[in-house]
Amino acid sequence: MTFAHPWMLLGMVGALIPVLVHLFDRRRPRQVPFAAISFVLRSQKRTASRLRLKRLILYTLRTLLLLAVPVALARPEWVETGVVRAAKGAAATVIVVDTSLSMRWSAGASLFEEARAQARSAAQELSAEEPASVLPCGHAVASVAPLNFDRAQLISSLSELKPTYELADLNRCLDQAAAAMSESPLANRRIVLISAFTQSGLRLESPPPVSTGPKGEKIKPEIVLRDVTGGKSLDNRAIVDVRAEPAPQVGPRAWQFTWTVRNFSDTESRDVEVVLKVEGEVVSKGFVDLSPHGTAQKVMTYQFTKGGSMLVEAQLTPDALVEDDTRGLVVAVPKELRALIVNGAPSAQKFRDEAFFVDAALASTGSPVRATVRDADAAWREAFADYDVVLLLNVSAPPADVAAKLVTFVQQGGGLFMSMGDRVEPDAWNAVLGPVLPRRLRVVKTAVEPGAADAATRAARLQQVSPTHPVWVPFTGRAREGLLSTRFYRYMLFESDTTQDVEVIGAMDDGAPAFLTARKGRGRVLAFASSVNRDWCDAPIRTAFLPMVQRIAGSLSGTLDEREQTRARVGEMVSLPLDQGMVPTALKDPNGVELAMTRAADGSSVSGGPLAVPGRFTVPMTNGQSLSFVASLDPAASDTTRFATEELAAWFGEEVVKSSGLTGPSAKTPVWTWLLVLGVLLFFFEGTLLRR
Amino acid sequence: MALLDAQTLSKLKGVKLRARAVVDGVLSGLHKSPHQGQSVEFAEHKEYAPGDELKHLDWKAYGKFDKFYVKRFEHETNLRAMMVVDASGSMGYGSGALTKLDVAKVLAATLAHLLVRQQDAAGVSLVSGSTVREIPPRAAATHLQVVLDTLESAEAKGTTDFSGLADQLADTLPRRAMVCLFSDFFDDRADALKRLLALRARKHDVAVFHLVDPAELTFPFDDPTLFLSLEDERRIEVNPREIKQSYLEEFTRFLNETKQACTAADVDYERVRTDEPLDQVVLRFLSRRAGGGRP
Repeated sequence: MTFAHPWMLLGMVGALIPVLVHLFDRRRPRQVPFAAISFVLRSQKRTASRLRLKRLILYTLRTLLLLAVPVALARPEWVETGVVRAAKGAAATVIVVDTSLSMRWSAGASLFEEARAQARSAAQELSAEEPASVLPCGHAVASVAPLNFDRAQLISSLSELKPTYELADLNRCLDQAAAAMSESPLANRRIVLISAFTQSGLRLESPPPVSTGPKGEKIKPEIVLRDVTGGKSLDNRAIVDVRAEPAPQVGPRAWQFTWTVRNFSDTESRDVEVVLKVEGEVVSKGFVDLSPHGTAQKVMTYQFTKGGSMLVEAQLTPDALVEDDTRGLVVAVPKELRALIVNGAPSAQKFRDEAFFVDAALASTGSPVRATVRDADAAWREAFADYDVVLLLNVSAPPADVAAKLVTFVQQGGGLFMSMGDRVEPDAWNAVLGPVLPRRLRVVKTAVEPGAADAATRAARLQQVSPTHPVWVPFTGRAREGLLSTRFYRYMLFESDTTQDVEVIGAMDDGAPAFLTARKGRGRVLAFASSVNRDWCDAPIRTAFLPMVQRIAGSLSGTLDEREQTRARVGEMVSLPLDQGMVPTALKDPNGVELAMTRAADGSSVSGGPLAVPGRFTVPMTNGQSLSFVASLDPAASDTTRFATEELAAWFGEEVVKSSGLTGPSAKTPVWTWLLVLGVLLFFFEGTLLRR
Repeated sequence: MALLDAQTLSKLKGVKLRARAVVDGVLSGLHKSPHQGQSVEFAEHKEYAPGDELKHLDWKAYGKFDKFYVKRFEHETNLRAMMVVDASGSMGYGSGALTKLDVAKVLAATLAHLLVRQQDAAGVSLVSGSTVREIPPRAAATHLQVVLDTLESAEAKGTTDFSGLADQLADTLPRRAMVCLFSDFFDDRADALKRLLALRARKHDVAVFHLVDPAELTFPFDDPTLFLSLEDERRIEVNPREIKQSYLEEFTRFLNETKQACTAADVDYERVRTDEPLDQVVLRFLSRRAGGGRP
């Protein structure tokens, strides 16, 4: 016997009322002198035994009535164990076993273990002339094996079932099971559905399963529901989302993580511990309070000590479904960039110094760049290989040997930024730096003299910038307007070139390229057509200048590409963009198992999956690098809110649900309606007795 | 007539006034001579003695026996009526305006009044437990006052003992007399009523007025009640609703048995509800007797 509202049973105390009334209600009777008292005495004597019996029956009826009402309100259900009502005659049977994440819910033994035991029980209870098959039901619905009479094989296949980490699509599974039985010559059809019946797995707005008979007629299969939860609610908490973003206000390489925690239970959870782990090491702890079916966000900040791809996870205090208590992501923490700023026009006055504004931008708080400023002569003596990026700011063409070193530096993966100025001789540059120039320099164009009275109106402006390029991605809205309003008085024109690998990521209003970028070997170059001080333009005093310089440095070093997080979900395929030169060798799951993958024909991406398990996946490359990402659980799979038995029975149709609300291998029969009928009858008898 | 119901009578103080009202009601309701009850039948011969009326000399007897005999007729012998009123405690019960004793006293007084008015002798006997207060029957008009005063003074107390009463009446009523019994007959002794009715066997004319209160007939009680006896210390707490059916059965059986016993003993039986008009009761009684029928 189970009760839907057990607290209603407290009302049974009311059954004491008749006894208490009898014990304590000693009202003083009215005294009446009466002449015919002999007849009263005689009548009392005559009826005494009958009255005693009547009184006893009345007390019993009233007590039962007062017991029946609270018990009925508690909605009891009679549990018959070991009962699975068979259909009339042999029936083609498909046993559908829910393998979704919710079946991993465990209080001692997991629900899936219970499901497997019930599936075995259901298989054993089938008669010999009933063909049967098993359908594991996850997100991706497998095809149903042909129905056969081999029970040993059926039970063996049950042993091989495993729970997944996905959301089950019970509707599709039921349709598939119904379709599989259409081939059967038997008139009776039966689907044994073994599940926890979470609301996320079944859509009641869809039509219930219908099978097709031998003559094409529609047959509603008999549905045997086996509830593996024993009727109890499945309390669960889960981290359903995470958002990561840099937190420059905290410091360089600091990130802020916002974890979204949801409570799928009817009860409140207070002081739930949230542990932040970086690469498996606990770095921070916090607590959240969760209201029933509520959501809370926990913000945690961490400053990484080094750059690179980092696995960041949050973990809740484990509950019965531990799999969704952890959620992670891989963040690309910018490595510290070493930049060599070659100052072509040093000046004692800072604002006239060619490198002043660039140095200030790269040295600002939160910048991942550690810049070294050298004048040209000193810079040429530096070992470029010690830097990630070299910035040539209005420098004269370097000597040929230095230029060769620069070319080698770029070819081997270095980043080279070039800005123009009075000291840049196009011909000299073309001569020595031609291999690393995106385009050959042609001539300097003066839109207006910087000191002219109408300089503000006649100055050239940026006409367009490529919004998808990593350098310009942050520039949206007013930031973009500010960028486009930069005034250019003088700028370098480049030779026209049809080379495909040069990308103009910003152009003047006359169409002249303002920013050109290109890959040279393993490295990248970016040329800015104007100066980085105020001689040729007013860009340095624009608010866009600082982020622009930082992102140019990041782009040239390749770190901006790595920052884009790959969001992958368990049960789905994943597609990863590949940089030039990246050739993946494998796609490995967190356990090191290799998954099938396909590289795009143009080599720009690789896809693979489906991703069966949550955790960190890695894609090693031939060049020694590797990509990594985290596959996360579908938040809907964590929703363990269950359907009421009545809802399921109503959806399937009362007439076909044979074991609605089963608890294990058992059937529940609602008793409360009978109790109410009993209560009414008791009330009627009590009234009748009182009138007699 | 309807003016003489219990409610109206209760507004009149004293038995005399009440009896007077009933008598008037009765007289206005009679259509025949009130003297029709007088008997003219031959009763016996008596040897002439000086002082006897000569008109009653039986000359035929003188011819046969050569002695003077005087004829005695019934009408010459006054009807001797004894009003026996049960004044036990139970008669003091009344759920309405009048108690059973009040009604009994009015009825007895009325009948006494009517009897004396036609030169019959009327006496009264008040029975309370083993005590009997008796006023012998006389026909004098002044005697009526004594009878009424005696009735007036009657109070309900003590138990009902018909056995002792029957013995006493048998002793004090040597000649045939009319005995009017006013009682509720609540005497638990098995042979009490039989012994009383045995007076009929002694040639007494017995009429029974069985007084019943409406509450005794309907048992109109609902809430738990502690019933107290009016005659002794008995008391019982019951839920009237639970025993009502049984009570009514018992009481109805008692009424029927009483009536059957009277009928079997050739005794006039008149059941009197204390809430019905008493002149109607008296008229009903008189008319039945005038018809010579007994219930």
